Amino acid sequence: MNSFLDQYELSSTPFDSISCVKFSPSNPDQLLATSWDTTVRFYDTAKNEQRCKFDHRAAVLTCCFADGGHGYSGGLDTSVKQLDLESEKAISLGQHANAVSSMNWSRDTNVLITGSWDRTIRFWDPRAPTPQQDSFGVPERVYLMDLVNSTLVVAMASRLFYIYDVRKMPEPAQTRESSLKFMTRALACMNDGQGYATASVEGRIAVEYFDPSPEVQEKKYAFKCHRQTVDVIDHVWPVNSLAFHPVYNTFASAGSDGTVSIWDHKLKKRMRQFPKYHSAIPSIAFNCDGSRLAIAVGYNWDDGADGAKAADKHSIYIRPLGDEVKPKGWTPS
Amino acid sequence: MAKKKNKAILRPWCWYCEREFEDEKVLMQHQKAKHFKCSMCPRRLSTAGGLAVHIQQVHKLEPDQLPRIENALPGRDGYEVEIFGMVGIPAPDVADYKRRKEIELGLAIGTISQPPSKKPKIENRPLTEEELKAQLEAHKALMGGSESSASAPAPDASANSVVYNAAPQTYATPSVPPMPPGMGMSPPPGISPTPPGHPFFPGAPPPGFPGAPPFMPPPPGMPGFPPGPPPPGFSPPPGFPMPPPGMMPPGAPPFPGGARPPFPPPPAFVASGFSPPQPGAASPLSIPAPTAVVPGAPGVLNAPLGASPPPSASPFTNVNAVAPVELKLPDPSLAQTNPPFKKPTELKYADPNFSPDEKRAVHPKYRFVPNDTGNVTNENAHPEETRGKKRARAEDFL
Repeated sequence: MNSFLDQYELSSTPFDSISCVKFSPSNPDQLLATSWDTTVRFYDTAKNEQRCKFDHRAAVLTCCFADGGHGYSGGLDTSVKQLDLESEKAISLGQHANAVSSMNWSRDTNVLITGSWDRTIRFWDPRAPTPQQDSFGVPERVYLMDLVNSTLVVAMASRLFYIYDVRKMPEPAQTRESSLKFMTRALACMNDGQGYATASVEGRIAVEYFDPSPEVQEKKYAFKCHRQTVDVIDHVWPVNSLAFHPVYNTFASAGSDGTVSIWDHKLKKRMRQFPKYHSAIPSIAFNCDGSRLAIAVGYNWDDGADGAKAADKHSIYIRPLGDEVKPKGWTPS
Repeated sequence: MAKKKNKAILRPWCWYCEREFEDEKVLMQHQKAKHFKCSMCPRRLSTAGGLAVHIQQVHKLEPDQLPRIENALPGRDGYEVEIFGMVGIPAPDVADYKRRKEIELGLAIGTISQPPSKKPKIENRPLTEEELKAQLEAHKALMGGSESSASAPAPDASANSVVYNAAPQTYATPSVPPMPPGMGMSPPPGISPTPPGHPFFPGAPPPGFPGAPPFMPPPPGMPGFPPGPPPPGFSPPPGFPMPPPGMMPPGAPPFPGGARPPFPPPPAFVASGFSPPQPGAASPLSIPAPTAVVPGAPGVLNAPLGASPPPSASPFTNVNAVAPVELKLPDPSLAQTNPPFKKPTELKYADPNFSPDEKRAVHPKYRFVPNDTGNVTNENAHPEETRGKKRARAEDFL
């Protein structure tokens, strides 16, 4: 039951901050991790070994899996790379005009969608002779994107949100301003396609729904988290990552305070808070069957270069999950 | 002030049982429940009188048969005194209670019972012209042109008095700069903000700027400051004549004669401002224009929000950052500001416009410099023709 004892640390982790961890959508053991040390690493978490490593020319910010043994990655060097996880070869599909900050693979349409600080969203077909299929301008730098079914949520700087139907580009289906008053720092879509959760640098999470009807919109809410009151002063950390459990539709949040919490967004309850990690948590991910949670730990530049001096090691923990992520009275439907 | 303090010590209390309460509301609830409750029915009244009338009328009891008030101290169980919360408590009882409280709290006799009279009344009313003049004279005498006394010019009574054409926060600033010797006293606020014939800054605090203090230490991080080192040949804006050459040798703090800057810098700036400029150190000369002087303005991280940021203002140049690359908002009209907090809060990441990743991306350690050719993809099978070449439609893959 005490899964903290079962938690283990991956060997051969990146040398610098981990920017993003993602599990394979089909294999519960395979994990991609991108890092500011300019690498993308591919792990077999069950065997706890690094299968291969890909190099970028600058820090890597984001990655995603596609079916069929391929992954994609992008970062400060502006290029979008296809990673062949078997042959360990990387191919550049093309470039953005600025750093690639986020990417998602659309299984339905076999398209890679990338977002960048150059204020565009681009669609890529890796098999086409010219992979870049399209580019759509957005008003602000893209910070985060997530995709569920054909709904693409794009979180931008200046607290803007665009919600697209990827079949009906280029116009966004909805444009929203964040219900949180501070910079958007994390985003994750519910697996049931009903909505998404978003979090800000000011320790707060909002749960929102896609359906624009007033009765559904009424259900949206936000709550405080990842904060601590010390001597009447509230210490408030950014929430860096959110991830929905693929089966139970609960979600995990991770913050710069080094904690991970599991939330039941239907009951509006925290189900579990894991013991504090040694440093900030920039990224977390559930694997495809929801049996494990990957937790990247290490300084992630909240205090600039000064904080990096004091930063200790960067780690990826794999945490087997038990009932702590299962809502009370859960019945498989 | 004193009244409030008094209240803080003396909480509302119940005359009947001498219990203390959080506030009057709770006290009244207590009285209703404990003392003004009818013993014969569930009815609760608000006052003793109300209870008496109720018992007489509803339960048909004669006034002399009334039951004593419940849960009351001996001698306080009668109906003679009309109590409503704290209202109606006999004065001798109040005094007695206060005295006992003082003893209990270990306070000096009279701290509660004889409240204020600690601070001179003079602070709370505007001074008359005569008083001001007298104080000015006293102040002048006190200053006497000596430096040591000049270091504390502000605490004179006129500063504490009601603002007389001067921004009060000027005096709240602890770092009142010491005046160079031989400079005489600074003009008291409001008397003559701009001495005639002021060689510097003609009309510095213009008439339309009545709150402008005659002297003010430049607040740290004043908006409009170029955070970088002021260029050696810094050319002041028009209407801001440079001091005559040689007037300000590097490191010479005293300003001779009449060439006194309107804003004598605080000691730290005297040291750093005139010696070889350091990054982040603000020289008094770099105060660009009087209009940019906003007293008490917070340090501005994201200078570009301002109407006319100096061109060298980088959004996040810290003192030790050497990165020449600046983060620019692609659309300044969308610039964000963090809302204020209701409670004291330490936000661990407070920049509303740039993410930690963006800041990190321009740090020299991580900054990406593309090749001249832009050919990033040398290991690539099909190089750069993809870039900028779009298909007209997305239909074929949908």
